[in-house]
Amino acid sequence: MLDTFEILTTSGVVLWSRTYASVNPSVINHFIADVLIEEKSTAAGANDGNSAATNPPYKHEQHTLRWALVKELNIIFVAVYRSLLHLSWIDKLVDNIKALFVSLYGDQLKKPNTTIVECVQFDEYFDQQLHELEGARSKADDATDEALESRDDTALGGVGEEPPLPPSLAFRGRAQNDAAKEEQSADSTPIMTPNNSRPNTPGGSHLVVAKAGPVAKMSRRAKKAQNAHLAPASSGDEAPARRSNTAKATKPKRGRKWDADGLADVDDGDVQLDYSAPNAVASDSDASAAGRSTAVEEVDASTWGSKTKGKFVLKDLGDEVQSILASAEAKNPATKTDASAGLVGSGLSTIGGLFRNFVGGKVLTKEDLDKAMKGMEEHLLKKNVAREAAVRLCEGVQKELVGVKTGSFESINARVEKAMEASLTKMLTPTSSLDLLREIDSIAAPPVTSPNKARPYVMSIVGVNGVGKSTNLSKICFFLLQNKYKVLIAAGDTFRSGAVEQLAVHVRNLKELTVREGGQVELYQKGYGKDAATVAKDAVAFAAQEGFDVVLIDTAGRRHNDQRLMSSLEKFAKLARPDKILMVGEALVGTDSVAQARNFNASFGPGRSLDGFIISKCDTVGDMVGALVSIVHATNVPVLFVGVGQHYSDLRNFSVRWAVEKLLSSS
Amino acid sequence: MTAMDTLKNALEASLKPTPTVMLVGLAVVLLFPVLLHFILSASTPYNTLPSVLLVGPSGAGKTALLTLYERGLLPKTEKPAPAQTHTSQTPASVELAVNEDGTSSFRDDLDASGSTAKKFLLVDTPGHAKLRRFALSRLRNIPTTTSTGKTSKAKKDSKLKAVVFVVDAAALADSDGRGDSLAATAEYLYEVLLALQKRMGSSQTSRMPSSVPVLVAANKLDLFSALPAALVKSQLETEIGRIRKTRSRGLLDSGVGADDLAATEESDNWLGEYGSEKFTFAQMLEFYTEVDVIGGNVAGDGPGADKWWKWIAERI
Ligand SMILES: Nc1nc2c(ncn2[C@@H]2O[C@H](COP(=O)(O)OP(=O)(O)OP(=O)(O)O)[C@@H](O)[C@H]2O)c(=O)[nH]1
Ligand SMILES: [Mg+2]
Repeated sequence: MLDTFEILTTSGVVLWSRTYASVNPSVINHFIADVLIEEKSTAAGANDGNSAATNPPYKHEQHTLRWALVKELNIIFVAVYRSLLHLSWIDKLVDNIKALFVSLYGDQLKKPNTTIVECVQFDEYFDQQLHELEGARSKADDATDEALESRDDTALGGVGEEPPLPPSLAFRGRAQNDAAKEEQSADSTPIMTPNNSRPNTPGGSHLVVAKAGPVAKMSRRAKKAQNAHLAPASSGDEAPARRSNTAKATKPKRGRKWDADGLADVDDGDVQLDYSAPNAVASDSDASAAGRSTAVEEVDASTWGSKTKGKFVLKDLGDEVQSILASAEAKNPATKTDASAGLVGSGLSTIGGLFRNFVGGKVLTKEDLDKAMKGMEEHLLKKNVAREAAVRLCEGVQKELVGVKTGSFESINARVEKAMEASLTKMLTPTSSLDLLREIDSIAAPPVTSPNKARPYVMSIVGVNGVGKSTNLSKICFFLLQNKYKVLIAAGDTFRSGAVEQLAVHVRNLKELTVREGGQVELYQKGYGKDAATVAKDAVAFAAQEGFDVVLIDTAGRRHNDQRLMSSLEKFAKLARPDKILMVGEALVGTDSVAQARNFNASFGPGRSLDGFIISKCDTVGDMVGALVSIVHATNVPVLFVGVGQHYSDLRNFSVRWAVEKLLSSS
Repeated sequence: MTAMDTLKNALEASLKPTPTVMLVGLAVVLLFPVLLHFILSASTPYNTLPSVLLVGPSGAGKTALLTLYERGLLPKTEKPAPAQTHTSQTPASVELAVNEDGTSSFRDDLDASGSTAKKFLLVDTPGHAKLRRFALSRLRNIPTTTSTGKTSKAKKDSKLKAVVFVVDAAALADSDGRGDSLAATAEYLYEVLLALQKRMGSSQTSRMPSSVPVLVAANKLDLFSALPAALVKSQLETEIGRIRKTRSRGLLDSGVGADDLAATEESDNWLGEYGSEKFTFAQMLEFYTEVDVIGGNVAGDGPGADKWWKWIAERI
């Protein structure tokens, strides 16, 4: 069963919600952070978030979420249910609710400077949809129950099969057009509405449907004598399956209501739950026995009037919902054909459009953007961004901009550039920033109040051959030494001849350079041919013994498509248990960067991934720093440092603003 | 006939390259875009209201506070309650009002009482690390655009009156020595304060920008596990002190070259009193930025949100 359904804005305010079983708000928060902010589900590149049917479901703990967005209005529709259940109709529910809500409250949502949307009325629309969809899907099961259990039901509406809907729809549409219109207009002004005149709770109204059915049907039959053959169909217009739910759930409700007369409102919550759980129907025997006393019959008769009215309102609601959904459906293809207006009209609008290009205030369409986006994509490719990443960025920006009005004196290109700047910033900014020194302190020298014991901070560096792993490791070491840490460098490259000697040279240099600064550095090496993971583990143990603050582990360079070497990384991560695994990538690398980053990120086994990137040789590429976009795009792992030269001091914190400026600069 | 003649004359005159014609033509050409600009920019409402910025880490209760104040102003709400909220992705602003002397409660309906109201915008910003750009760029006085819809453009922002930094005091209490919450919160507050300090420092030449006071709102005091305001203050101060120290020892940012280094002194990037051992919020007064820490809660039973409202009202 559905646990909760929420309609919320991108600014985080829940506009409307219905809860059947309380769900921790963190479930939806995780969804927003993972899917909408961090865009972790990069696989579905084409999905635009518009329809729950195409959006991949999001799973968190035992919950599954189906969702849809309306970008223009900044609202999100989310349905949450237990993953154990397979509710195939939820995506349809989300999409229908979306269409309904947008058409009913779209205007209110455009108001500036408020977070309030008057949508109490929406309860009824939601119930209508829920029952219709839920009923339709579980009809097959219900039909058998119904036959066994309740004679009333079969007498009431006929049979458990679908009536021919299209004719009856058309007919009702005409007959109750006015009423439907009136209600719609009433809804946009939240104060008064005909619905208020009857018990305003869904429970009440459904009670009414089942009870008053025969009466209403009679009167309608009389009225529409000429349409006699349609009458049975129209009486069952909410689909028989729905009636089966409501009728069954009615019985326990009947008993309860007269138990505690004044508390009808309090009961309603339970009643709703009854509807939502039609499988719990069998329990009605006791309650209904009590309810079938004569007193009940009398009171029922006395309230028929209002109930009849309730029925009509409910019918209208069904109609209204149908017509809204139909028009929303019709609108979808319509937006595309709209463009072919008259010749004169289109001529004028092109001139106006050209004009608007200069002075701004133009509402952007997909066509306007196509050219600008093409240019932007080219631009990014020139900056050495991998095509895959460039396409994704451009698609994101385009989707964001369709329907947006440009500012005064703002050209399309300027607007696109601004949006691209925002996307790049969002993509490159890490979710949690790294203050390396503070992190080391908290592990190597935790405060006395902390339960954690001091131990060396372990950092390891991986990457393909020749990207500068050892060099960057030495740069980090230099930085740490300047800050007076005691560092152990572990020679984990037991494979390539000369690697250990190379590190030894670095260590010697570093010792010389920092002898005055107060840092201390040693090399831990076990020669060649040993298992790198074991060497690393031993190094960490040794460091703990000798009171080192930091262990830096160098690893052998490996091709990311070398299965054998890559698989040894998993063992390495398990044995050495590094606090940070950094990958060195070259700024020079082209399209290969995406595959490299992905393979390395996946090589540490489940539950462990890269913690960050060091991009080396940034000084050699000028403005073409696209490689860092490619790798962040591929992995969602942040860039932490960039190497900008040959000296030990040429290591920099990665600044997002710097990168974005370079990426967008035109030269 | 005469009509035709005058028309003809007028046409001829207008085509002759006389100075008047040229001047008028020039004036039209030059003024038209300016006029258009005013027409277009005039259609953006509310860009003159003073504003108060809500910042703070994700989950602290910014959006909840915003909705509480907004709903408190609704007529006929006896006990205003915040709306249900989730992680924000876009900023949101709400128009609120206090009376002339800043004494009205957020529950008061000012229209009804008939007193003149001072209107202001309360602006909520997303606290997620990837989305702090919205808040920080407003503090740094850089105009930004929000992507779509409801929120109007952040113009160059001299109307920023105050910043409310919302803190989840209950989450701070959970964190031990390497507690993520305290570190993350302090880091964001550090960024905010540094941005404000630079904003004050940068424009010594021209007119000073008006100072922007900061309220650290220790939220969720209804929860028994929450730290009291005084402890929130001292913990944040210590942590910011630690951040300040590691930042000064840290690596340079990419893009900062040696020549830039000469231009900017080290003290420019040091928050608070330069060289001081410990950081306290009082040091920010040197940069005309007062920082107050007040406890309260948005939901549940506790001191409530009235003190914060009072603080805001006094600064509008
Ligand atoms: N117990 C308690 N809970 C609160 C209080 N204030 C807010 N909350 C809850 O804290 C959660 C997060 O609040 P939000 O307002 O959405 O947080 P936010 O600061 O807007 O977070 P972002 O939008 O992600 O930046 C919500 O579930 C609130 O109900 C409070 O005073 N007491
Ligand atoms: Mg929020």
